[in-house]
Order: sequence, then structure tokens, then C-alpha cells
Amino acid sequence: MILPVLGLLTGLILGTLLPVSMPLEYAKYLSVALLASLDSVFGGLRAGAEGKFDNLVFITGFFTNALLAAGLVYIGERIGIDLYYVALLAFGLRLFQNLAILRRHFLKR
Amino acid sequence: MLKQGQLSITLVCVILGIMLAVQFRTTQDIRSTLPYQRAEELTQRLMQVEKERTALTEQLQTLRQASGDATMEAIRMGAGLVPLKGAGVIITVDDTKPAAPPGKNPNLFLIKDEDILKIFNELRAAGAEAIAINNQRIIASSEVRTAGPYLSVNNMNLAAPFEIKVIGNPATLETALKMRGGVIETLQFWGIQIAVKQTSAVEIPAFKGTFRFRYAQPVQDGGK
Repeated sequence: MILPVLGLLTGLILGTLLPVSMPLEYAKYLSVALLASLDSVFGGLRAGAEGKFDNLVFITGFFTNALLAAGLVYIGERIGIDLYYVALLAFGLRLFQNLAILRRHFLKR
Repeated sequence: MLKQGQLSITLVCVILGIMLAVQFRTTQDIRSTLPYQRAEELTQRLMQVEKERTALTEQLQTLRQASGDATMEAIRMGAGLVPLKGAGVIITVDDTKPAAPPGKNPNLFLIKDEDILKIFNELRAAGAEAIAINNQRIIASSEVRTAGPYLSVNNMNLAAPFEIKVIGNPATLETALKMRGGVIETLQFWGIQIAVKQTSAVEIPAFKGTFRFRYAQPVQDGGK
């Protein structure tokens, strides 16, 4: 359990030190992609808790979720519908579901 | 329990951490750019800056009138540095309607600098004590020059219709302009509408420019 947390901390430190700055117009896409990645991480944790973890599924899921979320927001901007909120809602919902399942698993031990 | 997939989860968490940090930084940057500051903060700043500006202009005024004895005041009035009020006329000069008849050169029917200068000349001959056009005070060194569709006065571009404010004897001024064969008749031939209104209280602003004498020097001869 501590290994992923360590990974998160490393990532945070790396991100602060890196002089990477996102052009402000793309900040929206990054935020949605962030939520999607968060959701897939929790999905992976849940799969790990249930014993059904598949490496390939997890990795591909991570990247495709992030890309799909950003792509959805971009297309939404183009066609005039604010799909930003749709992506937010969907991933937020899944996040809470996964969290609930994880919590139940930890408590059952 | 979480034996399988620790490595990939860790890897993904690293990437997640990086994304989080970048996003934090970007949002910080967004918050600090001017458009996102709250409107109240901006209006506060605006009011403060405006207050400073009025304080500075007041300071400028008091400095200008610092040496305030009678002869100095008279000199400043003569130089056009004092806003004045009194009886006079307000002249409106417009060239916009009717439009020039087709087939003729439209430039002939626009107000030109010479027309305005003729009006000024007539006014001065009739005893005008202060003249302003579109709130630009006319002093001895003011130029009135055609610049494309505008008139350049005191280095400011003015557009028609022109409102000329004059302080002087209202009846004399109006009669001077409306003489037979005078300025108004000549200009009306070209379709320029001139309206003269006598008024008992007209306010004329001061000349707001600066004086610079690079070539002229005062003559020191001890007499006048």
C-alpha cells in the first residue's frame, strides 16, 4: 500500500520541480484527464482488492480514459455542448463507487 | 492483498502526481492573471488610481496658480491658461447634411481649416475675448489644420460638428458673423450649416498644453 503512495509523492515532487507549464487554454482538458486518471487508479486499486487485477487492462484503461476524457471535452467545445460536465459527472460517479467498494473490502478484513 | 499490480499502480501514481502538480501550478497561474481577480478587487484598484489622478491634477492646478498676484493673474488670463466664463455665443458648424449633390467633388463641401479660421478672424475683429472649439482653447499659438477628415487643433483631432464657444458681446459677435457677404453667407453657399446662439453664460476651458521656446529668447532691453 505504501508503494503507490510513495509513487504519488514522487510524482508530486517531480511535477513541482519540473518547469513544465501548461498553456492556460488547455488547463480544462488537463483537469478532466486528471479526474479520469484518478478514477482509473482507484479502479485499479479496487481490482487489486478483488483479486481481478489485470496489468494490461489497467495500463490501457489509464491512458484511454485520460485521452477519451480530454477528447470528449474538446469535441463538446466544437459542437457547442458542454460535455465537460458530462465527463466530470461520469468519472466522479465511478470514483465514488470504486471508493465505496474499496472501503467495504478493507473493512471486511 | 494488493500484491498483484503494485508496480503498475505505482508507476501510474507517479504520472498522476506529476499531472496533479502541473495542474495545481496552472490553476495558481490562472488565479493570478488579471482577468480572474474578482471584480471587486479591480474596482477598488480603479477607484484608488482615479483618486490618485485627481489628487495629482489638483496639485498641478495649485502649483500653476502658486504665484497668484494680480498682474500674474492677468498675464495668465491673456495667455489662455485660465478657464473663463461670461456672456457670449455658441456657434455650431456642421457639414454633414445635406450631402453633397452628386456629380460634384464632395471635398468642396467639407469644413476646412480656412473656414474655421475665417470664423475666428471675424470673431476676434468683433471683440471676442476667448474662443474654444470642441472644448479646445484657442490661444495665440494654436493651429487649426485640416488633417484628412478631421481638424487638428492643439495637436488634437476634432471632428464635425464643431461647437465654437466665444466670450464677448453676444449681439456684436452675432452681427459680425451674419453680415451681408460675411462668413456665414459664404459658407452656407457650400452647404455648411452654421447656427449661432447668444447665451449669457458660456464656459471656456483653459489651454491645457505646455509652452516650449526652443528658438525664442526674451529680448533684454530694459524698456517695453
